[in-house]
Amino acid sequence: MKRGGCGAVVMAGLAVAVVPHAVDGAASSSDPRAIAITGGRVVTVSGPTLAKGTVVIAGGKIVAIGETVAVPRDATVIDATGRTVYPGLIDAMTTIGITEIAGGAAGTVDVAEVGDMNPHAKAAVALNPHSDLIPVARAAGLTAALSAPRGGLVSGQSALVRLAGHTPAALTVKGPVALHVTYPTGRPPADEARMAGAGAGADLEPKTFAERQREKKKNQDKELRRLAHLLEEAKAYGAALDAARAGKMPPPRVDLPMEAMVPAARGRMPVVMAADDDDDIRGAIKFAVERGLKLIISGGAEAWRCTDVLKKHDIPVLLTVDRLPRKESDPYDAQFTNPGALQAAGVRFAIVSDQSTKARNLPFEAAMARAYGLPADAALRAITLSPAEILGVGDRMGSLAEGKDANIIIATGDIMDHRTDVTHVFIDGQPQSMETRHTRLWKQFKDTDPGGRSP
Amino acid sequence: MTGGAVTGRAARLLATAIGIAAASGASRPTGARAAAGKPALAIVGATVLTAGPQGTVAGGTIVIRDGKVAALGKGVAVPPGAVVINAAGRTVMPGIIDCHSHTAVESGINEGSDSVTAEVRIADVIDHRDVDIYRQLAGGVTTINVLHGSANVIGGQNAVIKLRWGSSPRDLVFQGAPRGIKMALGENPKRANARATGAPRYPGTRMGVEATLRGAFQEAQQYRREWQDYEKKLAAAGGGGKDKPVAPRRDLRLETLRDVLDGKVLVHAHAYRADEILMLIQVAEEVGFKVRTFQHVLEGYKVASEIARHGAGASTFSDWWAYKIEAQDAIPYNAAVMAARGVLVSLNSDSDELARRLYWEAAKVIRYGGVSEADALKMITLNPARQLGIDKRVGSLEVGKDADLVIFNAHPFSPDARVETTLIDGIVYFDRAADLAKRMPAGAPVATGGMR
Repeated sequence: MKRGGCGAVVMAGLAVAVVPHAVDGAASSSDPRAIAITGGRVVTVSGPTLAKGTVVIAGGKIVAIGETVAVPRDATVIDATGRTVYPGLIDAMTTIGITEIAGGAAGTVDVAEVGDMNPHAKAAVALNPHSDLIPVARAAGLTAALSAPRGGLVSGQSALVRLAGHTPAALTVKGPVALHVTYPTGRPPADEARMAGAGAGADLEPKTFAERQREKKKNQDKELRRLAHLLEEAKAYGAALDAARAGKMPPPRVDLPMEAMVPAARGRMPVVMAADDDDDIRGAIKFAVERGLKLIISGGAEAWRCTDVLKKHDIPVLLTVDRLPRKESDPYDAQFTNPGALQAAGVRFAIVSDQSTKARNLPFEAAMARAYGLPADAALRAITLSPAEILGVGDRMGSLAEGKDANIIIATGDIMDHRTDVTHVFIDGQPQSMETRHTRLWKQFKDTDPGGRSP
Repeated sequence: MTGGAVTGRAARLLATAIGIAAASGASRPTGARAAAGKPALAIVGATVLTAGPQGTVAGGTIVIRDGKVAALGKGVAVPPGAVVINAAGRTVMPGIIDCHSHTAVESGINEGSDSVTAEVRIADVIDHRDVDIYRQLAGGVTTINVLHGSANVIGGQNAVIKLRWGSSPRDLVFQGAPRGIKMALGENPKRANARATGAPRYPGTRMGVEATLRGAFQEAQQYRREWQDYEKKLAAAGGGGKDKPVAPRRDLRLETLRDVLDGKVLVHAHAYRADEILMLIQVAEEVGFKVRTFQHVLEGYKVASEIARHGAGASTFSDWWAYKIEAQDAIPYNAAVMAARGVLVSLNSDSDELARRLYWEAAKVIRYGGVSEADALKMITLNPARQLGIDKRVGSLEVGKDADLVIFNAHPFSPDARVETTLIDGIVYFDRAADLAKRMPAGAPVATGGMR
């Protein structure tokens, strides 16, 4: 039985500092705003699963968690008996917040800036907190998502988005998170479209395979030289800025793209490179290692073919599962077994939607990997703690542990089961509304049919 | 037990008897056509989700003979000499039917040069070597409705095919399936107007879409009258002499539309918005044809009673939304609402990738709208079979029906579900164990778990 704290209730004003931990891990009973989730199976991800655990939330944080934790006297208790409690899911590659309707409504899409060199395009400044996509993803159990620009050679900088809040600043957990680069494949756009499964309409020009390969290599080398040059320039620009700050020289001419690239060029900010093919992933790693970049691979369709080098250089991968194999001769399940192969090889990875409206299916992508060999606990980790770690927020989110942000979901069963319902979502300790554009339209039409010709 | 569904002696027998489909498109079964005269096949020990009157049969036996289900039930005797597939702990369901596919088509699904192209036929351009046939078999799909694209108000004719990987284009065709045609409303036929080169194509608005439809069918009515007059005069002339009338000029486009009016061609109409769903119903009822299915029909929940009253089915996505303006009001509860309102609902993929996981698309309508597991299963089996007019042959596991079925390692809706074996006409066209065995040693690491 539930006592208050129903999913639709938004609790007032929780903007307080972390409540000091009481002795024995129990929250201060003097804090009337504490919430205790009791009786549920608690899947912590970072620790053992509790068959019947209690999670106490206060001040936006998890202040106590365990099987014998005392419920603070004044806490709002949410009875999760028979349910499963998970950390909020994290989708480490989306365009949530910067796109609304991907097709035929360019005015709602802020994903790709003009030109192919936009390191200073920052998702964090263009987030739409009132996007219909946010409640939909949230109601499916997602509590955070990386919103990343795309397109061109250097696409821009991503933001880690909290899926609750009314201003871009409130949404932003961390921004910028990474510089996003499309690793140049050298292939002409028509070939790229064909590789991506666009099929007809992207027919190849009549050229021999050898001609094609030469052309690809030439284009690729040219683009890589451009990128290398830019990174060198950015380092020099950074040095000039430092020197100017130290009073050793006048400030360099304002150059926003250069300035934006400095942290990535210095290896301080991660560089996410989109690369799918074996040779492109290897190429990206070589490029990054030579320059001391902090590389993350996204896409990674053929990561299973290069686990050796991914492991050797400890490069994490943001994997998409719901794709067709890259090559006709590949095993039919190449994308489904990809995460399992990385897990077995000890490569760090997260499973991502790489999309916006389909982000709510994130747990089902993990399920497909699980059905094809990824252990169930690793599949869950790939959409919770692993993405948090890869994005540099593993200390704050991604698992249920004392001191972490209270991003918590309650589900009627296995979160990777399509038949499971998510009943509660807490972000920073605040219960979230489970209402979405979809539930509103459903309620409006499910019992009455005002369409039709007869009134 | 670990490993594939087909084990030991049974696997060898099967492999020699019929030539199991090999790994990932590299080789194809040869001569895997007529199952007649072959030993019977018995699948034993499985939980059978029949999608038919027998419901769920625990520990059931399915006996297959001459490509058909010969017996099905608990305690059914295995005929002597039968090849036995031990499916203990596994779940069997009917082969999945995808009511909206563009798989196995040679370069291009849109004859987009005109807004009415009823004369073109997908059956003429089937690409039997498309590896997505094999990939979809590996997702449990056995029959697909290959449709013309949605660039035209009235597109070309469909081809219903069985995924008999390794067969010729002609042998893929589902013999006896009624003919069908694609229509399309809204953004796509409008958008086709915005071609990069050449003159703009009519129509460019929803007004023009309606006018195109109405005009085409009024022409078809006229064409039908001309031929009826001719047949009448021909009969009166007694078949010869000076009075023999001159036949009207044959027009393949109008002939097809006449067949639509005569109910010989099923209409599959791509539609999103509620208003244009009503528009097509109005035009269809005026000129005299029935819409067999609305495809996508993402706002179907707003006019579900009208769809049901007209007698149309609905073939929808489980949860696609907001990928274009006319999909903005799409809700994942659509299938559930329409079904509750009496509409025959199926779930389709419209995607080579999504087709491989339709069993999970069906599971979503349980979550969104509380459809029962049995009804959800029918949305990817019996319901699309009924929509395509092939339900006497496929769509459920019943004695006498085609032995098109899928063996899963677990319940198809569960998060561990994986297809182990897919049969069409009683022939194994996909077997995971056989696929794994034929892979290159350096291939992708594989799931070897078998049962859990």
